[in-house]
Amino acid sequence: MKSAAQNPFDASPESSAFEETLRLIARLPAPEGIEERVQAGLRARLNSASSKAASDSAVSSKARILHWPKAQQLESAWARTAAAAAIVFIVAGGGWCISSRIQPVQPQAAVALPRVSVPGGFSSAGAMRTPQTLNGPVIAPAMVVVPQTVSPATNPATLTGRAQLHRGKPASTGSTASAKSAAAQPTTPVAR
Amino acid sequence: MSAGQAVFSGWMEIADKAEFDEACQYAEEAALAGLVSQYSGTLYRVAYSVLRNSADAEDAVQEAFLRVLRHRETLHEVRDQRVWLIRIVWNVVLDRKRRSKTRPETDDVAELARVLPAAGLSAEERAAAAQHHAHVLGCVEQLPAKERQVLLLSAFEELNSVEIAAVLGITESSVRSRLFRARNLMAGLLSHTRSLR
Repeated sequence: MKSAAQNPFDASPESSAFEETLRLIARLPAPEGIEERVQAGLRARLNSASSKAASDSAVSSKARILHWPKAQQLESAWARTAAAAAIVFIVAGGGWCISSRIQPVQPQAAVALPRVSVPGGFSSAGAMRTPQTLNGPVIAPAMVVVPQTVSPATNPATLTGRAQLHRGKPASTGSTASAKSAAAQPTTPVAR
Repeated sequence: MSAGQAVFSGWMEIADKAEFDEACQYAEEAALAGLVSQYSGTLYRVAYSVLRNSADAEDAVQEAFLRVLRHRETLHEVRDQRVWLIRIVWNVVLDRKRRSKTRPETDDVAELARVLPAAGLSAEERAAAAQHHAHVLGCVEQLPAKERQVLLLSAFEELNSVEIAAVLGITESSVRSRLFRARNLMAGLLSHTRSLR
């Protein structure tokens, strides 16, 4: 049988001397009667194997302890059908009985337990945990308060108030009210 | 009998196991006998190309068929029985070659002079041809194992490169590259010995 792939020796353009030698050896005829000898050898091996198997089976049958009863041959087709139906009925009925007795377990609702502090332990004292990923509070630069000393002599509002009081006029004018409010205001801090 | 009855009676019926086993064994033995008569010559030549001894080659063929006998249950699964058998005998032969001691070259020459066809040759020519063949085979023995195996198998006309690759368990391209290297090495070895003479 030659397929599409040729023998690699055939593909060579030149046939060397050593290839001729190898070809000669490859073409050597098989010796006469090799088939019969191989067949005889195989037959002898088969016979010895079968005799050994027979002796093994005899030993095993003698050494058998349990004798299982052979299956009864059911002659009638109806009897076989009935037996098969009975087996199916028993298996299905048994399965149904088991499945009907087993109640499915109701899944319990989740219960949130109240937070009870451990007796003798430390309490959190109402502190809230802040994640560390957040930026911390930015503190503004400290402010320096410069006290602005205002002398009563130089304060014009006081002066006007005094003047008004001295003159005895009613404080109905807007200038007098603004002067009062200005006097009531504290000294404003000056941010540096 | 209805279909349902037939099914029930079929699957519950217990076949006679002894008769079935006997029939199977008979079929396997017949198949094995067919393989022996068909391929024993090819296997012998493959074995002889490596072992170069008739008795050893015949023993290798016998051992290969004994291995087949041990695995005869899987015989029907084999796709190409010829390549499968050649692969078995090839492995047997390599095992034997590995185990056996190297024989002296004079044995090879005498065996070749006895075996190789020498029709129309005088005694001297026959001896010279045997000497030449023994020298070539000695050079083949000096090749690396991979190249030597491909070279020996490629000498068989009934094996193509795909089948050689299947026997050796390599790819077809590997067969070709190894054969190329083997040829170059053989040419170098032969020219070297020629120059020494």
